Amino acid sequence: MASHKTHYEDCDVLVVGGGMAGTGATFEARHWGRDLKIICVEKANIDRSGAVAQGLYAINCYMGMQWGENQPEDHVRYARNDLMGMVREDLGYDMARHVDSTVHMFDEWGLPMMKNEKTGRYLREGKWQIMIHGESYKPIVAEAAKKSADKIYNRIMITHLLMDEEKENRIGGAVGFNMRTGHFHVFRAKTVIVAAGGASHIFKPRAVGEGMGRTWYAPWSNGSAYALPIAVGAKMTQMENRIVLCRFKDGYGPVGAYFLHLKTYTQNANGENYEKKWYDQTKELVGEYIDHHPTPTCLRNHAFIQETMAGGGPIHMVTTEAFQDPHLETVGWENFLGMTVGQAVVWASQNIDPKYTNPELTTSEPYVMGSHATCSGAWVSGPEDLSPPEYFWGYNRMLTVDGLFGAGDTVGGSAHKFSSGSFTEGRLAAKAAVKYIQDQKAEGIKVTDKQCNNFKEAVYKPLETYTVAQNEITGGTVSPSYISPIQGLQRLQRIMDEYVGGIATNYMTNANMLKRGLELLAWLEEDLEKVGAEDLHQLMRAWELKHRALTSQCVTEHTMFREETRWPGYYYRGDHMKLDDDNWHCLTVSRRDPKTGKFSLEKVPVYHIVDENEKKKAS
Amino acid sequence: MMSTNPFSALAENIPSVFIQGFVLFMLLLIFFGTVIQMIHHKNLTYFFRNAKKAKLSAEKKLGAGERAAIIAKTVVHDIATTAELGAGKRRVAHVLGMWGTILFWIASVVMIFCYTSIDVETPTLWPMMWHIGAIMTCIGGYWFWLFLRVDVLAEAHPWYRIIKADLFVLTLLACATTGLAWSYTQSLNLENRWDDKVFLILYIISNLALFGGVYWSKFAHMFYKPGAAIQKNLAEADGSRDNLPPLAEAPKQFGLGIKREQPKHY
Amino acid sequence: MSTFVYMTRCDGCGHCVDICPSDIMHIDENIRRAVNIEPNFCWECYSCVKACPNHAIDVRGYADFAPMGHSVRVRREEEKGTISWKIKFRNGTTKDFVSPITTKPWGEFIPKLAEADKPNQEEINSQRLYTEPEGLNIDGELPAVPKDSFKKGVYY
Repeated sequence: MASHKTHYEDCDVLVVGGGMAGTGATFEARHWGRDLKIICVEKANIDRSGAVAQGLYAINCYMGMQWGENQPEDHVRYARNDLMGMVREDLGYDMARHVDSTVHMFDEWGLPMMKNEKTGRYLREGKWQIMIHGESYKPIVAEAAKKSADKIYNRIMITHLLMDEEKENRIGGAVGFNMRTGHFHVFRAKTVIVAAGGASHIFKPRAVGEGMGRTWYAPWSNGSAYALPIAVGAKMTQMENRIVLCRFKDGYGPVGAYFLHLKTYTQNANGENYEKKWYDQTKELVGEYIDHHPTPTCLRNHAFIQETMAGGGPIHMVTTEAFQDPHLETVGWENFLGMTVGQAVVWASQNIDPKYTNPELTTSEPYVMGSHATCSGAWVSGPEDLSPPEYFWGYNRMLTVDGLFGAGDTVGGSAHKFSSGSFTEGRLAAKAAVKYIQDQKAEGIKVTDKQCNNFKEAVYKPLETYTVAQNEITGGTVSPSYISPIQGLQRLQRIMDEYVGGIATNYMTNANMLKRGLELLAWLEEDLEKVGAEDLHQLMRAWELKHRALTSQCVTEHTMFREETRWPGYYYRGDHMKLDDDNWHCLTVSRRDPKTGKFSLEKVPVYHIVDENEKKKAS
Repeated sequence: MMSTNPFSALAENIPSVFIQGFVLFMLLLIFFGTVIQMIHHKNLTYFFRNAKKAKLSAEKKLGAGERAAIIAKTVVHDIATTAELGAGKRRVAHVLGMWGTILFWIASVVMIFCYTSIDVETPTLWPMMWHIGAIMTCIGGYWFWLFLRVDVLAEAHPWYRIIKADLFVLTLLACATTGLAWSYTQSLNLENRWDDKVFLILYIISNLALFGGVYWSKFAHMFYKPGAAIQKNLAEADGSRDNLPPLAEAPKQFGLGIKREQPKHY
Repeated sequence: MSTFVYMTRCDGCGHCVDICPSDIMHIDENIRRAVNIEPNFCWECYSCVKACPNHAIDVRGYADFAPMGHSVRVRREEEKGTISWKIKFRNGTTKDFVSPITTKPWGEFIPKLAEADKPNQEEINSQRLYTEPEGLNIDGELPAVPKDSFKKGVYY
């Protein structure tokens, strides 16, 4: 286990990350690239890795085109509305027109989909959501990836992408280490599809002891989806668009089935429907966006936050009515058991039976990811038939680095994908990556041993730092010469929490706070050169931290750049407390220079490829 | 060599009463090691408190006859064939090692107490059992040590890494290996050559380490595990089942998914 | 919430070590049994709980906010395609649930794409993915939007 032997592997398509997007990419790549070498590298074990480890109770993105339930343009309008106008409509339309075939495949593979007894169709939870018994969702899609791949590597964390040394701005592969054997792995690849995790744990969570583990988004999503491309100078978009979720208290259990299927509703501690109270104030902030139907997620959060700050809490979900129906009671509990078991544990521990008690809700700490009611991520090309010229540069889902593709939480601007949409985006990226290879764009890639060895030294440095530093002290965790991964993480979380709009300030920030945040993040970046890892597990934690820290810098830069409050309820710019469509109806794009570490940001136009339409009745 | 009683040759130089005394001393070490561990860890207190608590969620009361039947079945099936390890190499290795050790110890005691005087001829059964037991222990034990230990298999530690948990299996293997080596070198009649007594001494030390280390090693688990297996089967029968849900009433028709593979995905 | 391992049930098989998405289930050096080395990175995903052949792993709700005396246990039976849950409240209330986890034998209906029909050049050049357009179950082709309808930077 102490040996740091280097293994080299050459391949055509390297998929970094074996979650929903990664399995989708790996699976589809084989269809288009029969003779290509396809490898998927996963940090944990592909059978249960990623955000879908415990399963899902609903597929939140299904059009139902076969029954005329929705069309892709409806979904674009929905996502655009929910994100206050700021989405990549080409990416969203592209995802939405393909997602149905993905879901039909899942059905074929054995994923139990609930059916509407009367119509025989998939049972709808809401307009976009269908209900599933998805405890084994991840093992099922993992098996599909295993059947397509030449090899799946488990327990290898990819720490860096490799760049081609022959042609500028072209990808060369990736490197990482195996946290069991300790070996160093170099993957030289013609194309790389980054399908890694978004970022949880960059803001201080509400629970700070053991409870730190109960984040809404998986704790093992450490922002590799962002840090890997940022480090090689790929452009990112909408990184300021962090998401805050209104969920059941402590367990962060999902509320979707409750609102949509059980038809439960919220009320404040005095039994009032509080959302109406905040209409006028919200209209002052965002104008007519508050009149859209459905109400954008962030604005509902906003009402919740305002009500809580005004003393109307604790806010509850009224379940006592719905839970009298035994079928709805079963759905209410199984909703957690198949998706967020922790919520069932919380209720069992606190004797909360929703038949008799209305459970408490809370707003979470912020998260940065790209597949939910949010769309932070890499700036990618769209598909040729849907993208305006500014959004297209040759290959669908390709980043601004040639041969580097993204899918799932990695990709910015395509919101409301969820699991099925992420898998679909993986499929899209895979097809494009294969075409890129077939178009001979990946010829003559050169990756020298020097580049690999430089990374190797950097990768294992925390182990050496720890061992050497131990000579200075008698023992314990306090040292003037190194910090442990948890120490660094808690410092990062506090910086983001206090200066970049975490729960400490009720999601409020301003230019002065952001400036101070950047200062502190810069010092943290320097100190992370001295992170010390006791063993391979801690080494993995150390690299998770480094990816989180780089992601956080990008998030802070973007938050500074957008001078408006576009998504109240996600965060507020105290110095620009208004939505400003005149100046900021656009996307933000950043690039970090790999040589200097400096971020430069620009505005990019939002294209509306789908117009506004009257509501069509679902047939 | 396999049909020669090594203890009778030994008894020519060392009075058999000393050899027998050594065995009794080992038994005392087991007793004290286990009892002190039990007192120190209060594990009996835990065990019975837990059983009492579990009884509260029992769905039905088991009669004395039912209990006896379950205990008997547990001993014959779960314990004798190490059923807890499921199907696979670990179970085979454990069964080999466990029965090998049992045969080895029984044969040792019988030969030491009944067949060490000069005028008694040892029936071939006992030395055969002794040697075969030692060989089985070595096969099961080395197989486990080199390939099957979970920290080697699932965590990629090298086979030569030694941790506190290895105390029992290593000293047991030392006893079996040095015992066989001693029997072999003794049968060569080396007449005071340098290696004539070496393995005997190592065999003695191994036994002292094995039985002396009971307090610190997993030795006493050979008493705890059967107890736990009995408790588990009783809990399954009376419905308390450690708060686990009952087995689903559905046919086995889907084959294996994740569980078809070994726990070694790296 | 965090997992813990029962001493009497764990036999050191390593399935939990192998499956944990957080890499926090490891083998204790003193007794060679599984242990959760980092409860504050435990998501309570129950992957290890379900993977343990001896039901040796259980969960105790996070100490930050979960009072004691509760139990949420599970039995995942792959061959039967079921998952069974037993929830026990602190006050003794119990709830039981059983759900399906698959409708087909594991893996049998997942295609090995290397053996499927190869796509032709027209399909490669198109926007269609594997199984499309038939896999969408619609009449006609993959939907698209005409480019002349695009509007730049105008908001609705």
